[in-house]
Amino acid sequence: MEFKIFFSNRSTVYGVLILLFSGLFALYLGKTFIAQQQTVIEKAIRLQPENTARNRQYFGKELGTLMYHNKFTMIHQPDPWAAFSNGQRDIYPYQLSVSMLGLQGQLYDTDLHNPVTLLLGNIDLAFVFIFLFPLVIIAFTYNLLSAEQESGTWRLIGAQAIHPWQVIGRRLLVSITTIFAVAALLMIVAVVYLQLPPDIRLWRVSGMVGLYLLSWFALATWIISMGKSSDFNAAALIACWVVLQMVAPAILNVWVTWKYPVPEALETVVKQREGYHEKWDLDKKSTMDKFYAHYPQFKKYPFPEGQTFSWYWYYAMQQMGDDEAAQGVAGMSAKLQQRQQFTDIATLLLPGIQTSLRLNETAGTDLQQHLRFLKAVAAYHEEVRLYFYPLLFTGVSSQQVDWNRFKVAQFKETADDKGGLQLLSAGIFIVLFAGGALYNYRHRTYHF
Amino acid sequence: MNTVILIAGRTWKTIFSNRATMALTLFLGLALCLATYTGWEHYQSQQRQRLKYKAIVRAQWLAKPDKHPHRMAHYGYLVFRDQHELSFFDFGIESFAGVSIFLEAHKQNTANFSEAGFSGGMLRFGEMSVAMVLQLLVPLLIFFLGYNAISAERESGTLKILLCQGISWEQLLAGKTLGIIGVVFTLFLPVMLLTMLGWAVLSNGHLSADAIQRFGLLLAGYTMYFSICAGVAVWVSACCSTSKVALTILLAGWVCGMMILPRLTQAIGVQLHPAPARIEFAANVEKELHRQGDSHNPDDPHYAKLKDSLLQQYKVTDVKQLPFNYGGYVMAEGERISAAIYNRHQQKLTDSYQKQNSFTIAAGYLNPYLAIRYLSMALTAADFDTYADFQDQAEAYRYQLAQQMNKLQMKYISNATPGDTDKPATISHTHWASMPDFQYHFKPVAAVVRTQAATIGALLCWLALIIGCFLGASKWAKSL
Repeated sequence: MEFKIFFSNRSTVYGVLILLFSGLFALYLGKTFIAQQQTVIEKAIRLQPENTARNRQYFGKELGTLMYHNKFTMIHQPDPWAAFSNGQRDIYPYQLSVSMLGLQGQLYDTDLHNPVTLLLGNIDLAFVFIFLFPLVIIAFTYNLLSAEQESGTWRLIGAQAIHPWQVIGRRLLVSITTIFAVAALLMIVAVVYLQLPPDIRLWRVSGMVGLYLLSWFALATWIISMGKSSDFNAAALIACWVVLQMVAPAILNVWVTWKYPVPEALETVVKQREGYHEKWDLDKKSTMDKFYAHYPQFKKYPFPEGQTFSWYWYYAMQQMGDDEAAQGVAGMSAKLQQRQQFTDIATLLLPGIQTSLRLNETAGTDLQQHLRFLKAVAAYHEEVRLYFYPLLFTGVSSQQVDWNRFKVAQFKETADDKGGLQLLSAGIFIVLFAGGALYNYRHRTYHF
Repeated sequence: MNTVILIAGRTWKTIFSNRATMALTLFLGLALCLATYTGWEHYQSQQRQRLKYKAIVRAQWLAKPDKHPHRMAHYGYLVFRDQHELSFFDFGIESFAGVSIFLEAHKQNTANFSEAGFSGGMLRFGEMSVAMVLQLLVPLLIFFLGYNAISAERESGTLKILLCQGISWEQLLAGKTLGIIGVVFTLFLPVMLLTMLGWAVLSNGHLSADAIQRFGLLLAGYTMYFSICAGVAVWVSACCSTSKVALTILLAGWVCGMMILPRLTQAIGVQLHPAPARIEFAANVEKELHRQGDSHNPDDPHYAKLKDSLLQQYKVTDVKQLPFNYGGYVMAEGERISAAIYNRHQQKLTDSYQKQNSFTIAAGYLNPYLAIRYLSMALTAADFDTYADFQDQAEAYRYQLAQQMNKLQMKYISNATPGDTDKPATISHTHWASMPDFQYHFKPVAAVVRTQAATIGALLCWLALIIGCFLGASKWAKSL
């Protein structure tokens, strides 16, 4: 009966249709975005052996020159969930090609971007859940009580001696059921369309989204429980939405960049460049001593000291660029962890942001995952170095190198889980506001 | 006219007598002050950082000892993207664009270290700036002030009385709109004056004429934008049967226009005009490079021919007998060819980005928010054009640096190849100062305005549309 009344309202149908339509469209856009990255990744996998073959043809005479030019690619494979929540995958590079030269000069190269596209952001299903669902929840709930009061039917309900909060509760249940049905439908489509594995993460994401939506219902119930007019409710709820989803994060962002600036980034490039280049003008022995201190195992290879130039010395100089930038790198990573901690705590009171961050985390499209990717690239680069250093030092020709050893490397890792924070964030909202609403319904007398 | 002013004045007074609107207005005023302050601090700290490293890079460049000039070409230069002083007002793409480019011989690098690269996902929810408050929150305030401008009169029955008293629809709509605009300006103008004052104080009075003109145009742009918003609110209020419907429509429009449409139009623009990823871009450049002549390929026919013609021209049998350093000559030629190819591809890339953006700019005719957003970004030099221009200027500097070093090599480095144990050939470090420091030059305001014809046109069209609707109001508006 309540359902029939609920759906007889035209705007209800519109709300459901808007959510369904935009959800499906967002799924399409999110999937297309990841599919485009997949195409590029396939191209990168195809290109690496081609490029190596050409480099060998041009520079094969000398292994040192060849290693100067030849690059090794590592790929950050998207998780199926990345199409659900694109997160920061548009900003961070998802494939990095590094030569054996100094790592710090290559690690932060970005992909080519249209900054306006990055600024405006993309649409994926997570966006629909985080931004649009609350708006429809507001539209469904803001006049649950006030419309009755304004049309005078409240008097009738009061006369029938049922507790008013029971009536409100029943109606609320109807709109909660509707919203959850739409959300569940979209999740099912997502699972099929994006081929999401039906594992624990599916339940975690569903739980997060469900809790988040409930937190909005709790907030809406509390606002309408104050018994104000429909106009007031609408304005107050929209104001809540604007503050929680726009103003508060916008202020926090400026605060974070201001409070935790990352000059270490620029310092790292400056140090790396200087650390390498100044070695050209220094005594070769001092560079080689530092190099041996870093890699004692290479002491056994004799270094041709009298020569004006040797590849041995050249790559040792490159290594020094990285070694001298190490402090900047450590500082940068400490700063980024500080930012992350601050954001995690500050967004406990912003369930939308918290949910969005945790969804990105689960989908492996967040900053932490990117930092892990960079670490993996560094490890891969080290592996290449350790393999080629002895070959360069002993003057092995490029014909004798096992070129198949370094295929395109793939990075695929599932994220660690901070879902508890989201639980806490949404939980605070639900308990606080649902409690407040219940109190109001029990203790307030509403004017008829 | 007097009637219009009378209605405007009454509207103004009614709004200010309402405690809720007063609170909202105050809140926005505070938000604007806060945004001005944080915006300025943000700009300052970023700018300080960049200037500090810019000075370090310059000092290091000058302090390099005697070297082979090609070593200097590889030592290269680090340049940092300058921010316009007005970027405290509107951050635009600032946080999403790379900050530093490493410039070296033979190779074009990307602009790295954007703020977004260091940020968790929260940055996608926006940044607090004066422009964000003015573009998003002030219209919301206007909608709340104006949604019942006409419909409340209709609901209470006073509308009929007003019309019977000889007030025309045109006068009523214009008066209500002006009243709301008046309210917004009572709030907006003092804050803008404060912003202007704060800006003057914080920059120690170093305001350039160009920046002041830009600021003046910003004021004009936002004035148009607010007038459009107020007009739309009153118009919707006049069209809808009840205040509730008017509010719903205005709020839905706000959400659609400011949250969803920008992402949607940009997504469509990107789909229509796909741009290559870096790896594809590099592969395309390389392919063409191999076709045109590759100075790194010892058997390249282009360079073999070049060598022969040089030998012939100078009537010598070996490149070692040439009156200049042959290696420097080959590199200068290689740089010329590769830079030309790269620039052509870069231009194509910039064009495709501009096409992507043009879709959103065109949508400004449907959605004035997009028009003011682009106009504001352009006037505060935080837009895509400025970013592309920075990349171009940096690339021009890179080319100049590489060629200057090649010239030095040709002139001062001997043609004889030093032996394995000889001292390497060098030139005096006094030559390094001949390469001036990189200095980015912003486009003058007149050039910016020319590129913004579309956005300014969109705002004017909206104004004309609203005035047209108001003038024809007696034909479409209903009093009941």
